[in-house]
Amino acid sequence: MYTYKSGIAQIDEKTGGFDAGTNILILGPPMSAADQLAYALTKPIPGEYAIVLSTNERAAEVVDAFKVAGADKRFTGVIDAITKSSTPGITDTTRLMFVSSPTDLTGIGIKFSNMVECIFEGDFADGETGLFPPPIRFCVNSISTLLMYRRLEVLYQFLHVLTAKLKKIEGVGVYLLNNESFDDKTLSLIKQLMNCVIEVKIEQNVNMMRIRGLPGMQGDWMKFSVSKGQVTILP
Amino acid sequence: MISTGISGLDEMLGSGIPEGSKVLYSLEPGVDGQLFMISTLSCALAKKQSCLVVLPNTTVDAFRNDVQAMYGPRPDLAMAPVTFFDAIDWERILKSSRSPEGRARELQARIRKLCRQHDVDIIFVYFDLLNEEFGTDAAAVIFISVQEMERKNGITLIIEHLNLEGPDLPEHFIRDMKFDLVLAIRSSFRPFPQFNYFTLVHTSWADLPVRSVPFIIGEGRIIPYIPRIVVTGPASSGKSTFVLNAADEGHSVDRKAQEGGMTTVALDFGWIRWKDFDITLYGTPGQERFDSLLPSYLGHAMGALLIIDATNADQLPRARLLSDMIARRRIPFAVVVNKNDLTGTLDPELIRRVLAISNEVPLYQISATRKTDVNFVLESLVDSITQFRY
Repeated sequence: MYTYKSGIAQIDEKTGGFDAGTNILILGPPMSAADQLAYALTKPIPGEYAIVLSTNERAAEVVDAFKVAGADKRFTGVIDAITKSSTPGITDTTRLMFVSSPTDLTGIGIKFSNMVECIFEGDFADGETGLFPPPIRFCVNSISTLLMYRRLEVLYQFLHVLTAKLKKIEGVGVYLLNNESFDDKTLSLIKQLMNCVIEVKIEQNVNMMRIRGLPGMQGDWMKFSVSKGQVTILP
Repeated sequence: MISTGISGLDEMLGSGIPEGSKVLYSLEPGVDGQLFMISTLSCALAKKQSCLVVLPNTTVDAFRNDVQAMYGPRPDLAMAPVTFFDAIDWERILKSSRSPEGRARELQARIRKLCRQHDVDIIFVYFDLLNEEFGTDAAAVIFISVQEMERKNGITLIIEHLNLEGPDLPEHFIRDMKFDLVLAIRSSFRPFPQFNYFTLVHTSWADLPVRSVPFIIGEGRIIPYIPRIVVTGPASSGKSTFVLNAADEGHSVDRKAQEGGMTTVALDFGWIRWKDFDITLYGTPGQERFDSLLPSYLGHAMGALLIIDATNADQLPRARLLSDMIARRRIPFAVVVNKNDLTGTLDPELIRRVLAISNEVPLYQISATRKTDVNFVLESLVDSITQFRY
């Protein structure tokens, strides 16, 4: 089974990376590097694909962020739940798909399936590497936005389906959630869907993270920084 | 009757949906099944029926654009007068009252008014947000009550719902809310990834069996689809004749055999558009040396036909071997005893005994040279496939 490298030397050396089918929740406060960490973990390495469900920034911004991080944009797809509300006439391409709003779970589910199908059929990009099933990193950039629009129970059911689907296609999922805006019940319910939780906090202007649920990692707090898509563990 | 816009489905339903019905299109997350609702809407508009579309999660412009982008231009939808209740109207309802009961009353009054103003024949409801706001029963009751209050007009209610709750939800609509038609649109990873199918779960006006029909979307429409039926059997049993007689378009790869007759050296292909179904037939070569390929042909097959020569008892042991291979795949299959128009044919009971097949496996005595016989076999197999539980 395929193993997804985290791109963080200290983690990959100890654990080998994330097993296919892993769903990772990143819990972090606003203004932390949690979102950059999520993108860094989603960035596809050669031979992989990335799909980002963007609920808080436009597709163009996501693509730019991945470009800055050094990702090959041919292997990055975005499902944009923001742009269509202001530009109803915008049309889908193979790698950029649009849903009417973050409330549209039907549309999000369909666009996700369509993009995955396109990758499976080898129609997503030139220069396919031929790995099967194709390794796919998936990111929801953030669950917090979805929770603002939809009830927790509904979103739980939706994420339950999505995380199960990701396991089935042997992908890896990265889900960002602002842990300061939601109560413990919400956090604990969402955690139930995940195999791995990365908590992020800021202390004295330094970002820190700890990883739980990844065999081989102790769960200690580690200082880190993210620059151009590269995560560095600080001493 | 209201057409679903999918002629194969209309035929299963007995020419469509009776007016005044309550219909649920239940979508499993991730299945591209929105075209079911859009097809029905498009057909209704083409017949000049007055339609109200309730879409609380999007605007009219975004909806029209989505429909056009996903499924091609729909002149009916662009030109015909349609009444919409969209996200902007929904925002007004949300602001109209602090309590869900007040908002439900406001929504019901608004829908009723629109139905009267526009003499609405069919209400199409995108149920997702309403279900969340009011709960399944209360949200459905808003529309059912409008349907009952305006009964003299025989309004039809069609709901599209993202089913996050599993099989209990359609059952609830059938048992407790007395829906007349429930169609579940689903996907599976068997027999291959992204395999979409719809299941006719319930019809109140006819005692129809539960049927599951795979589909693809092509040319902006739903196409019921059987991606692979394998036609196999011993050499010279008539497989190529069967495939070619069944197909609208076919390709035989028969070449002259060392024994003098014709034999299949690779695969025969046949493509059929039958009762709105797209069907692909794969005719395998009959010689034992190709047997190692058979499991992979059967791997993604949805049905299989085992053709045997009614005049050749020597073929039966080989037919038994092939029959066992098919049986292991647990897919619908039938035995086709070919050349039955000749003299000296084998007793069907003997064939069943030698092949060790139960009476549940259909056995047809036909001549593959007669297109009517071939069509009958295919029709029966498609019937079995659509009733098969994936």
